[in-house]
Amino acid sequence: MTATAKQTTILQTQNLHKTYRTGGEDLHILQGVDMNVKSGEWLAILGASGSGKSTLLHLLGGLDRPSQGNVTYTQQNIYQLSRSAINQYRNHEVGFVFQFYHLLPELSALENVTIAGMISGNKQASSAKRKERAQMLLDQLGMSHRLRHRPNKLSGGERQRVAIARALLNEPKVLLADEPTGNLDADTGQQILDLFINLHKQGQTIVMVTHDQHVADLADRQLVLERGKLKS
Amino acid sequence: MYISLLISKYLRRKLAPMFAAMAVTLCTAMVIIVISVMGGFLDMMRAAAQTLTGQVTIYSDVTGFAGHQEIAKRLLIQPEIESAAPLVRSYGLIKLHESTQTVEVVGIEPESFNTVTNYQSSLYWDNQHFLNMLDKQIPQEELTSPELKKRYADYKAAYEKMDLDDAGMNFTIPDIWVREGIEQGCVLGIAVNPWNLRNSEGKYDVANTALGLPMTITVLPMTQGGSIQTLSPATARFTLVNEFKSGLYDIDSNRIYVPMAKLQAMLDMHQQKIWDKFDPQTGQPVGDATIKPDRVSELMIKGKDGVPLADVKATVTRVLQSYLAEHPNTPSLWIQTWQERHATLLGAVEREKGMLTILFAIISLVAVAMIGVIFYMIVQQKTKDIGTLRALGASRKGIASIFLGYGLSVGIIGSMVGLALAASIVLNLNEIQDLLFVWFGFKMWNPQIYYFDRIPSQLDHMEVTVIVICAILSSVVGAIVPAILAAIQDPVESLRYE
Repeated sequence: MTATAKQTTILQTQNLHKTYRTGGEDLHILQGVDMNVKSGEWLAILGASGSGKSTLLHLLGGLDRPSQGNVTYTQQNIYQLSRSAINQYRNHEVGFVFQFYHLLPELSALENVTIAGMISGNKQASSAKRKERAQMLLDQLGMSHRLRHRPNKLSGGERQRVAIARALLNEPKVLLADEPTGNLDADTGQQILDLFINLHKQGQTIVMVTHDQHVADLADRQLVLERGKLKS
Repeated sequence: MYISLLISKYLRRKLAPMFAAMAVTLCTAMVIIVISVMGGFLDMMRAAAQTLTGQVTIYSDVTGFAGHQEIAKRLLIQPEIESAAPLVRSYGLIKLHESTQTVEVVGIEPESFNTVTNYQSSLYWDNQHFLNMLDKQIPQEELTSPELKKRYADYKAAYEKMDLDDAGMNFTIPDIWVREGIEQGCVLGIAVNPWNLRNSEGKYDVANTALGLPMTITVLPMTQGGSIQTLSPATARFTLVNEFKSGLYDIDSNRIYVPMAKLQAMLDMHQQKIWDKFDPQTGQPVGDATIKPDRVSELMIKGKDGVPLADVKATVTRVLQSYLAEHPNTPSLWIQTWQERHATLLGAVEREKGMLTILFAIISLVAVAMIGVIFYMIVQQKTKDIGTLRALGASRKGIASIFLGYGLSVGIIGSMVGLALAASIVLNLNEIQDLLFVWFGFKMWNPQIYYFDRIPSQLDHMEVTVIVICAILSSVVGAIVPAILAAIQDPVESLRYE
């Protein structure tokens, strides 16, 4: 990883607000968040439950729309993109890893990974190549012996490895991880963190939200979110 | 690509789509069976009506009309007309096996009658059939002694000599059945004789048939003016030389065919010579007699192949008008096509078919609603998956396509299974009924109510195609609302869904 690469801002938010209306009242989840993510960086967003860190991650990944403000990816406001382009953004440019894995229960481990490539609709990427890359990723994550197993036959750690492989299939620029060890025991959690450390070493940009200081300490940089605002 | 993968996985892994497919299967099968039976019923009625009455009929009131030979002669030279046959129709009593029944007595000239209807092919017994049935009923192993064997061989040899088909076509009495005082044969509807019962194969047994037995027919003569004559009822004896089975139970259980000339004579409708003057001393007629021509009830006409019914009727109307212009004393005559003659019945069945189709289409809407509910439940179950797919970059259109494709697949599978189920039932309907009768003594189809002795059914390819397409479309329609609901789900909410 070069110093130049590290200095390039890949993802940025400007005055980001998100308000939900529940029970006739406005709930201000994010209140003017300004932040940036540099290429190759591991950024940890630390915060207690309800601080708005998952909402921030969803906005960074184009899953939700801000009430106010922008999210800029490589100088482009993603919320000005067409629906089709934002779908492409979610599919190609970012990869999500969730706390509860969110694997599709009807699919095998291998299919859960390859489906990310199928959604891209890239006809040039042949089915065989897609499968080859998925197998390679699962192999690297120590899952080569569980390719045909469905999620209900996998342990929590194995499910999270499959979810990481799925997030990496389309070689995203940014990996967005939402409490990836939050549902795992300490040992398994550490194994998953080791995977993130390896990915980071290979130059993968990671934005990880967590409430665990120990996890946040592994990151290059930490931001603390408190009641919807970044703590300075 | 991911859409087809998920559809195939959802179809294989879930119980709910099986219920949806089953609903489509049952609705498809139900509609196809109803349409096929009603359509078959209608077609059989049309065919029976056409073959039993000819294409066009000229008829008068019950007193009959003269001049049918001349009308037929003029008709037969028309290029549109194939054949014409007169008949005399009356009602009377028959006495058979010491039991008396009322029947429709129809006098025919078999040869001409056969050219207009399918009379010859409706004759039930031919020699081979008769002998086969005889062999089945008297198995060889039961002929234990040489004497019995010889008696059976002689009996069979006598039957081998006779020609039942010829007997039916000419009302001639085979030698073996000749009796003193009986000169002519008659042909009875197969269901008139109450002892005539079908075996397990649906064929009539020889053992119970009245073939070869004498029967007495009584009819009431009628004057040309339409009153019952002061004469006694006319009675004649005939030998039953064959039986006919038109397939139309109403006819098969009520009609008897006799030679037309004989019936005319019995009804006083035959050709007669009438003298005005008589020798007062000898009482013998004097001078020239006036010929009173014979009368018939109907003249049945068949058009040439390919000639439209309307053209046949137009030709008959033209010829009859020209005849009536030359014969102003002819009583009122009417012309009817077979469709007009049976319009009430055919129209009722047609309307019934339409009504049933609409009713079952409405019932099928229940299936659409059921599919909608099942798919809504599936969408609810799959909320998290929808969120995941959206996070992976799936578009709203892609999500909707999964559920629409799912509905389409359920529709295709359900309707194909329904088609197979319906076809196997429709094509074996009578066999199924026979089995139900053997097992449970239950008979769905009562021939006394439904005219035909077998359940008619016909798979119309066009109707079946329309039903299958409608079933598939119904499934897609049922899946539309759940698919839209899935597509518009907020991915963040979906991911948080518990």
